[in-house]
Amino acid sequence: MKEESEKYNKVLNILRKSKPELYSTEDIEREVIKRIERVPQSGLHLSETIDFLFGWVYIGWVRRSLITASIVLVLIFVYQQGVILKRIDVISRQTIVVDKENVKTPADEIEKLLMVYKNSERRFPSKTITISEKQMKELLESVNELQVKYKDLENLIEADPELKKIIEKKLEESNRTKIKL
Amino acid sequence: MKRKSNKLIVSLILIMVVSCNEPETVVTNYVHPDGSVTRKIEMKSIEGDINKRFKTSDLQVPFDSTWKVKDSCEISKKGDTTWVRRAEKEFNNIDEINLAYKSDSGANKAYSRHTGFIKRFKWFNSEYRFSERIEKILAFGYPVKDFLNNEELLYFYSPENLKQEKENGPDSLKYKALSDSVKTKTDKWTIKNFISEWTGAFSKLTEGKAVQEITRESLKAREYELAQIIAENDKKFDSLWANGVILKKFIGETNALRYKSEADSAMKLVENSVFADFKNYSVRIVMPGKLIGTNGFIDSSQILLWPVNSDYFLTEPYEMWAESKISNGWAWIVSGLFLAFVLTGVIIRIIKKG
Repeated sequence: MKEESEKYNKVLNILRKSKPELYSTEDIEREVIKRIERVPQSGLHLSETIDFLFGWVYIGWVRRSLITASIVLVLIFVYQQGVILKRIDVISRQTIVVDKENVKTPADEIEKLLMVYKNSERRFPSKTITISEKQMKELLESVNELQVKYKDLENLIEADPELKKIIEKKLEESNRTKIKL
Repeated sequence: MKRKSNKLIVSLILIMVVSCNEPETVVTNYVHPDGSVTRKIEMKSIEGDINKRFKTSDLQVPFDSTWKVKDSCEISKKGDTTWVRRAEKEFNNIDEINLAYKSDSGANKAYSRHTGFIKRFKWFNSEYRFSERIEKILAFGYPVKDFLNNEELLYFYSPENLKQEKENGPDSLKYKALSDSVKTKTDKWTIKNFISEWTGAFSKLTEGKAVQEITRESLKAREYELAQIIAENDKKFDSLWANGVILKKFIGETNALRYKSEADSAMKLVENSVFADFKNYSVRIVMPGKLIGTNGFIDSSQILLWPVNSDYFLTEPYEMWAESKISNGWAWIVSGLFLAFVLTGVIIRIIKKG
């Protein structure tokens, strides 16, 4: 034991006596101070910031969840935009009414209006010109008669292409005159 | 052409005879994203008497003194004067419009009309739906789509000026044929509705006291038979009905005598319903954002247009609807940032792993 202790003390003395040679103590001082100064700034280091922000990439379930959420978001976007574009396309093919005019009473409703008048005297009591049922019937009959005659005339014109051409020409001329006026 | 002018003459006579004081009316709904609606009414009248010109009772849509009104008059080249009244009102929500419809004292007060507004948040976009709906008149009628094909249906629901334009355009013959076909089919439809409604009303009135052969089911099954009887006696229908001849043919002499008053009451009810005293007008809707769907027509100023005519809601509710969307800019930015964040994370992991 004693021998070992003596050996140990000898080695220690040798080491104490052989000190390292310092060539630039100032440089060492500066380096030490620099490292000490760096310690409090270590939290703001880029790699640590990245680690802080993207630490989730190392947690399996978080990573998978966020990737799934992103894919769902993209799919929703694509689906929604696709549906909207399709609907806009349908609308662009929808009928456009050139004129902004009001809806007029359709000619086909005339008979219906007559029926309304005929069936409901109480609807137009005060400010109307009263006409008899006989006159009403005459009016209806004459309208029907005119319709039949018109239909015959239309068939006649359709059957004769030359006559059709002449009538179309006349109508065109008549329209032009109206425009000039 | 000639038929057109004849009909025009008759319609002019009718205007005088029936003395329709109601003005030509267009209602425009400017829908806002918060659900409020600016409603504008344009009424045109040729009535000279200032007291009769825009009488509330003659107007097709609810209107009262709370509206901002601007009157003007337009004189055509021929010297005809048209009086124009433009009225405007802000409605905070559709409930206020529906309340106005409920308390309407105008020409169409008898008809159930209401509006609807739905806003749907869909993350990238917000979608809006605005509708005006008129409930059906007949309880037992047949849908018009059972009688007309798609092309005919489109023509049937078209505004009158569009129909006229087509009938006078390059494909005039095609459209005249289409018009005739629609007329023939809708006439048939009207008669079928008339019969169906009468059998329905009659069986309701005789419910509980009638014999089995005049129950709703048995009468419905024999509607075709009644149609044949009416067609055979078309010209003398009124007198034959009044004498009970048609009824006897249809339900037998004993039943006809016993239920004559019920049959007449049912007939009166049906006449009032089928030949509805509805004053036509037009509805226009301006939606917020980009338009993505509608069942209306689009006019030259990109405003949606619907003619409102009693035939359209005779047997089925008539809904005029439009849908639009507004992109949520903030949602696009948030989604973009989120995607970039996840993508960067994945790239970093790949780099570090590599």
